[in-house]
Amino acid sequence: MKKILISSIAVCALLFTVSCNTDFEKDVNDVVVSAGSANFTKYVALGNSLTSGYRDNALYIDGQKQSYPNMIAQQMMLAGGGTFKQPLMPNNTGGFSNLPGFPGKFILSVVNGALSPGPTAAGAPLDNISGAGPYQNMGVPGAKSFHLGAAGYGNAAGLPIGAANPYFVRFASTANASVIGDAVAQAPTFFSLWIGNNDVLSYATSGGIGTDQKGNTNPATYGPNDITDPGVLASVITSYVGALTANGAKGVIANIPNITTIPFFTRVPAKPIAGLSDTQVAQLNAAYAQYNGGLGQAKAGGLITDAEYQQRLIKFTAGIANGAVIKDKDLTNLGPQLPSYRQTTAKDLLLLTASSVLQAGGGTSTQLDDQFVLTEKETAKVMAATTAYNAAIKSIADSKNLAFVDANKKMNELAGASGIQFDGVKYTATFVTGGTFSLDGVHLTGRGYALIANEFMKMINEKYNSTLPMVNVNSFSGVTFP
Amino acid sequence: MKKIVVTTALLAGIFAQAGGFRVSLQGVKQLAMAHTSAHAEDASVTFFNPAGMSFIPTKLSVVAGGFGAKSIVNYQNLSTLESYETNNPIGTPIYAAIAYRVLDNVSVGFNFSTPFGSTIEWPSDWAGREIVQRLELKAFYFQPMVSFKLAPWVSLGGSYIYAKGLVNWDKAATQLGGTLNLKDEKASGSGFGLGFYFRPSEKLDVSIAYRSPIDMEAEKGTVSFNISPALYPALGLDASGKDSFKATLPLVDEYTIGVTYKVTPKWLVSGDFNYSGWDRYNSLTLDFANAPIGNQPTDPTVLVSPKNFESTQTWRVGTQYQINDMIAARAGYYYDESPYSDENFQAETPSFDSNVFTAGLGFKFAKGFGVDVAGGIALPKSREVKNANTNFYGQAKAKAYYFGLGLSYNPF
Repeated sequence: MKKILISSIAVCALLFTVSCNTDFEKDVNDVVVSAGSANFTKYVALGNSLTSGYRDNALYIDGQKQSYPNMIAQQMMLAGGGTFKQPLMPNNTGGFSNLPGFPGKFILSVVNGALSPGPTAAGAPLDNISGAGPYQNMGVPGAKSFHLGAAGYGNAAGLPIGAANPYFVRFASTANASVIGDAVAQAPTFFSLWIGNNDVLSYATSGGIGTDQKGNTNPATYGPNDITDPGVLASVITSYVGALTANGAKGVIANIPNITTIPFFTRVPAKPIAGLSDTQVAQLNAAYAQYNGGLGQAKAGGLITDAEYQQRLIKFTAGIANGAVIKDKDLTNLGPQLPSYRQTTAKDLLLLTASSVLQAGGGTSTQLDDQFVLTEKETAKVMAATTAYNAAIKSIADSKNLAFVDANKKMNELAGASGIQFDGVKYTATFVTGGTFSLDGVHLTGRGYALIANEFMKMINEKYNSTLPMVNVNSFSGVTFP
Repeated sequence: MKKIVVTTALLAGIFAQAGGFRVSLQGVKQLAMAHTSAHAEDASVTFFNPAGMSFIPTKLSVVAGGFGAKSIVNYQNLSTLESYETNNPIGTPIYAAIAYRVLDNVSVGFNFSTPFGSTIEWPSDWAGREIVQRLELKAFYFQPMVSFKLAPWVSLGGSYIYAKGLVNWDKAATQLGGTLNLKDEKASGSGFGLGFYFRPSEKLDVSIAYRSPIDMEAEKGTVSFNISPALYPALGLDASGKDSFKATLPLVDEYTIGVTYKVTPKWLVSGDFNYSGWDRYNSLTLDFANAPIGNQPTDPTVLVSPKNFESTQTWRVGTQYQINDMIAARAGYYYDESPYSDENFQAETPSFDSNVFTAGLGFKFAKGFGVDVAGGIALPKSREVKNANTNFYGQAKAKAYYFGLGLSYNPF
């Protein structure tokens, strides 16, 4: 009997040990989300289109709901965060019907048997919702670094002369308000700031038709497609951060992704002229024979180097992908008889906007205009500015002891061969099929913004010892198929 | 003293299981004793070892049985604070077998069983939906067999296995904005079983058996997409959103050594060692006819998913006590080893290192009728999920219960 008792006790002991490690060490239901040393009571997000939730070439309600600041704010609510109000558009189409150049969102539709993105009509005229403010998502599509501090950036009267931005006009507290002023007036306890993308992006998406303003410290003299001087960017961001942290607020700041990996610049191949017949090749080469001959004379006359001569020779070959003929303003001006033509190489970036022109036969006997190509030289200017901006942003983050998001690194990872996987879904930077870029090829989808939101929260948690949970990237929307 | 030895034997040692999608539910009597193999009382031995037929006490033996298996798997992710629980239907593996001694030293038999199979059903919006929402896997084994008694104390048996199976797999196709279903109800394969059964004394039974691996070939699988029809042309789908696929699912080989020792005329103790060749399951390859949803740079229609299973060992111990002429009481314990590491956790076939306790009763009635009942409880260990291949992380835990009812008829 005693022996049986001993054995039974042994069995019970085994059962006990066994049942102990059947459970989770820590159950999610017991997790308490902490703000750490941060205070999420009043979170205000500042930035441009990326911050606003802009996608598919428009700002619209469903996109705004999946902005990365809104995702972050929802998680902050688990750790004492307050309400997060966004200046929602009046509809799910976006655009402003009473302003030129603000169409509704792009949608995919079947054109000639293939899926193709195209614009829709704007959903409504410009509205004004400042009365229901203030708003915690202060992302303003199109804003450059120095715009956030510009008084009157939300003044409707400034719209016709380009001094105001309709997206800020909608919710600016007064006609003379600045974005940063309205943000500071809310006395945020926590802020995010992701600005500076447009300071190079508008130059790049315009095909480099603007000017690199490096050395010019007066942004009032800049055109809309110019590259901002890195010193200007550094000084305005320093002043914003100073104003936002004046009363002890904590925050997070992100750098500028390398724009040359986004689908807007990678979708169209650098050598897009393929599938030419022998006859077409012969015709094209004959048509450019005179131009090539002229180049030979220019070289003989010492007007251009041999390198430029070689670069400018136009030659089409059957059976391979040829470069498109472009007008390149950086070539030596040889007068109206010998225009500045050359064929694109693997180092040029053809813009997404060039695809319809190419489909119509552009790039062969008709040359592509400057606005459709970011040439190698122009790309170098973009890269140099980005590098300078990112050095400045990092040093501001360090000196103000802010959480720092290396958005550039994350987007490069996305553009890499293996992309970024989340719960079995592989995301890449490929247009439409990659899942992260919306139909404009520049802005992200909900899933793309979720990747960004997680990167922000990871860095916030690291800096402030908070425990904001990550969002499930796959749960947000991607590209909508018809 | 004997009792101490036996109970300690129950507790000691390294115990392991078949794991993966192999279900140890092919004999109710056996399940009650930890699914040990050296029990030649009736035709249920046929699954475990064809040679066992030669030692069935009667000339004819017929058995049939069924089980109810209920399992619940939980997943949680401390990074996203998500948690999900499966809603698996009750699994109902069944078996039937007949054994007949045609000559004094020759027995023939037939066994039908469902040794592989599981249905896992996660909530359709759970975190791992891209991997699996619902997966039904089944294999039916049809085994004609023959056994020769080489000497009064040893027999040799062999079987041919024809396996038929079905796969029905729902998962999300997040990038396509929908879901897809992989289905093949006509997968098949064949293999064989081989075994020796020894009875060197009236007190000792030894069973040594081998069951070959079987490649279940799904030749005419159908993949159906539930996505926008605008995507059909780009994916090479037909007008109803379908494409075909081929795949091979390996069912693993198994080596078993079982021993049963009659300590007293009324009391027996059994032990088993199994080795299951799960290392065959390196990867799962789905070869689609047209749909470019694969991951091979050279052929985008081929999807290769690494599985990296490892072979497992199982040690089982069971015992039976004949309370009276009519009733036998049984109990057992085994340790079931998961065939993969945390780094290779497979949400479609969740598997855990488990302690399994079993018990049951056997009733003998007049005219050779017998009824067996058995129950089991698995206590799987919670584990980490760290699958870098699918970037799927978190933790998983499970519970499982088994119940079985078996009938045997040994008329003459």
